[in-house]
Amino acid sequence: MQMKLTRLHKFLLVLGGAAGLAYGTWVAADTHSADDIGDDLPTLDSIEVRASMQRPKMTLPSELTVVPVVKSGEYFVPPKIEDLDDSKYADEVRLGRNIFIDTQHYAKRFVGNGMNCSNCHLQEGRKPNAAPLWAAYPLYPMYRDKSRQVISFQERLQSCFRFSMNGMAPTLDSREIEALTTYAQWLSTGIPVGTIMAGRGFARIDKTDDPSPFNGAIHYKQYCASCHGEHLEGKKFTNRPGYMFPPLAGPDSYNKGAGMHKVKTCAGFVKANMPLGRPYTLTDDQALDVCVHIFMQDRPWDPRKGIFMSIFMPVTEG
Amino acid sequence: MKIQTVNKYSSLYKQLGWLVMGVAMVTLTGCGKAKSMDQGAITSGQTLAEKGRGSIPGCVACHGANGEGIEAAGYPRLAGLNVGYIEKQLKDLARELPPAGVVIESVSKDYSKTPRLYSDLTVFSPGLRHDAIMSPIAKQLSNTDIHNLALYFASLPYTAKPVAADYEVLERGQDLALRGKAEYGLPACVSCHAPDGEGFGADFPPLAGQPAIYIVNQINKWQQGLRDNDNLGLMKAVADQLTDADKINAAAYYANRSLIVKGQ
Repeated sequence: MQMKLTRLHKFLLVLGGAAGLAYGTWVAADTHSADDIGDDLPTLDSIEVRASMQRPKMTLPSELTVVPVVKSGEYFVPPKIEDLDDSKYADEVRLGRNIFIDTQHYAKRFVGNGMNCSNCHLQEGRKPNAAPLWAAYPLYPMYRDKSRQVISFQERLQSCFRFSMNGMAPTLDSREIEALTTYAQWLSTGIPVGTIMAGRGFARIDKTDDPSPFNGAIHYKQYCASCHGEHLEGKKFTNRPGYMFPPLAGPDSYNKGAGMHKVKTCAGFVKANMPLGRPYTLTDDQALDVCVHIFMQDRPWDPRKGIFMSIFMPVTEG
Repeated sequence: MKIQTVNKYSSLYKQLGWLVMGVAMVTLTGCGKAKSMDQGAITSGQTLAEKGRGSIPGCVACHGANGEGIEAAGYPRLAGLNVGYIEKQLKDLARELPPAGVVIESVSKDYSKTPRLYSDLTVFSPGLRHDAIMSPIAKQLSNTDIHNLALYFASLPYTAKPVAADYEVLERGQDLALRGKAEYGLPACVSCHAPDGEGFGADFPPLAGQPAIYIVNQINKWQQGLRDNDNLGLMKAVADQLTDADKINAAAYYANRSLIVKGQ
């Protein structure tokens, strides 16, 4: 009884399957023929793409960047160092320039890391959109949120030494502060006091997306790592002391109280100046990505905090 | 008792001594072997550079007996240059300029470790450098030849002979070399080619101690698109901004610098 039922079952199954296949084939053939008859559209070559057939793809990012065209006369041109005479003032300016471009040698006693002033204030403090000295000097004395008081240019320099150079603040009457102030004053020759100049500070950043440190790491690898090192450690000279390309993280870099430790400040610098020689290569969001990646690295602590607070408090910007 | 102790320790010291000697011998032998292999590469590089091989002419004919170059003809010096730089330049010289419309294969990346980004799929050029004299020669060199030649020329010492120039030319050249043109966003030469123009790493070749004509020619090639093999396209962007006077002034300034290079 059991065997018979099973055989019948199998037979029915095969019959049903064959019938289904036959019906399906017939239907498919029928539909195909009907399609062929009703199809009066021209056939499209698979390679050919027409504008009307294209759909906009929202997933593809546009790599377009806006590069500002520099017109002659747009930015202030500071005086030339070769035009200086032999006066005491000129000597002070030259000393200031030496300190500025080789801080490691001329102001070593106040410096706690491997940086020079001209690592951020590019081209001897002359480059617009790289915090040029000639745009900063005429604005002091100035109210500053960080210190919550009106400070002089000399006090601002002290702040640079304490945070960006991760060292000690020189006294206001020290040789270094006097020479650097004279150098800045000389660079701003001809600018009226209180004038806000074009190219002051860093570039403006328009954030359109949340910055991602993961994308930032990739951008860093592609655009920055060949000079600043795979791990942001900078590159040292082989034939002399000091750094050829400054470290962006680690013990020889600026500390967590520095202005460059702010993601937005860093992005403004990167956008307008990096990679050196090809500014405005990165979009605003890419610059922010890279700077978040830099922000997340280890660096010297904020000297305004104690060791306990430095370890257990959340990291703050600048 | 006493005698036994002395004997015991003396045998221990002997054993330790043998151990130290063995380790030292193995280490020294290893070092000697590595150095001799390097020396062998340099020697074969020297042979190729001096005598050439088959249809390959000797390098010394144009680049000088000690790799110092020929100033009047603008043939560059090779002595004391970075190994990686020489290798890359020879490989780029050997590469054919691709016909228009050919897509170059992108650089392979490790996607298992990094998340995907569309900028990762950018097509990179492997670097092109065309020269009527040098390209046909570079095409005949094997990778081993290139490596040997690079090691040989990098090992040569070099002392520059400063070339006198007009004071105003030098002053303008110095201004460009040390400060660039900040108001136009043109960086200074020293910011990548090191403070004395001695070059840095495999990406940034020396400017000091190179013939002035050579430097001007190379900047011209960048402007004309005959050379396109720089790191991140930095030099291309810089060269596009240089005027004819800028090239001459900067080249004269660097030809005027003194430079002493010890072989690597």
